[in-house]
Amino acid sequence: MPETNREIQELLVDYAETLRDGSIPVFLKSLTHDEAKKIAIHREFWDATEVVQTLNGAGFADKAAIPNVGLFISRVDAEIASRLKQAKAAPRNKRNTRTKPATKVEKSTEEQI
Amino acid sequence: MQNTHGSERHAMNKRLRNALKGLTSPDSERRRRAMEPFVRATFETFIRYLYRYLGNEIECEDVLEDVYADIWEKPDHLRNIINERQLLRTVYLYYMRKRLREVYRRINHNLCLSQKNLMNLIAPELGVLEILSQSELQQALHRMLSRLKARERRAIELWMEGASNRAIANELKTTVGAVKMLEFRTMLKLKKMLHEYYGEN
Repeated sequence: MPETNREIQELLVDYAETLRDGSIPVFLKSLTHDEAKKIAIHREFWDATEVVQTLNGAGFADKAAIPNVGLFISRVDAEIASRLKQAKAAPRNKRNTRTKPATKVEKSTEEQI
Repeated sequence: MQNTHGSERHAMNKRLRNALKGLTSPDSERRRRAMEPFVRATFETFIRYLYRYLGNEIECEDVLEDVYADIWEKPDHLRNIINERQLLRTVYLYYMRKRLREVYRRINHNLCLSQKNLMNLIAPELGVLEILSQSELQQALHRMLSRLKARERRAIELWMEGASNRAIANELKTTVGAVKMLEFRTMLKLKKMLHEYYGEN
């Protein structure tokens, strides 16, 4: 997308194309300040994006390769296990931070003696 | 989460209902066990739904992994769900949107687009079109496309087949600029028609 200062219809079509191709960052990064301002004020752009997303869902989602659900479940379970581990580790850390000042005080008093 | 027709449209099957019951349990281990049947029952619907906003299977999977883990962690919003439409709506509003917002956060500081507009583009508010199921959408689109002028319909059909604007322009024997304008106007026309369709149904 080398063009700059695109008209609103060109911006919409470029957004639609990148969404269809699964590369929205390309569109986002291509926007200039003026184009971003144009998008912000054009109600029609936002109306049309709703249809683009709908078309993308209805037209391309069916063609998308749906990954193996069994493998995906193990990914979700691993994520849950990792969150459980973090949750268990968190209170211990809190306890450690709470006890730190006490040990520091003990050490400093020992040093003085 | 297959859609059926008639009076039981969008009603939940027993397996999904039981999984939801397990998911909303206060016991985290029970919730973890309930996750497998829940994922099996909803995975395809959720991933297709996310595809609307990302257009990319890999990103859809990454987002969905976090969505399911968030559901496991805080399932409160899923209490009292009575049908699949409500489930999809609730999951989108309370779990998917939050994660969708984070997808492009890392490139945010390089963008000219404001944070608010980026969010509206990536994780929009729930509009009327968002709550239509996949089969309803396809049905509605099929009907709407048949009501368009031949040239408009052809442009959208070619676009949906994955054709570039240059290819569409060649097919319609016009310029790329004219195709872009035609697509833009047709999208707006479709939006109006889809809203009318939604109102009727």
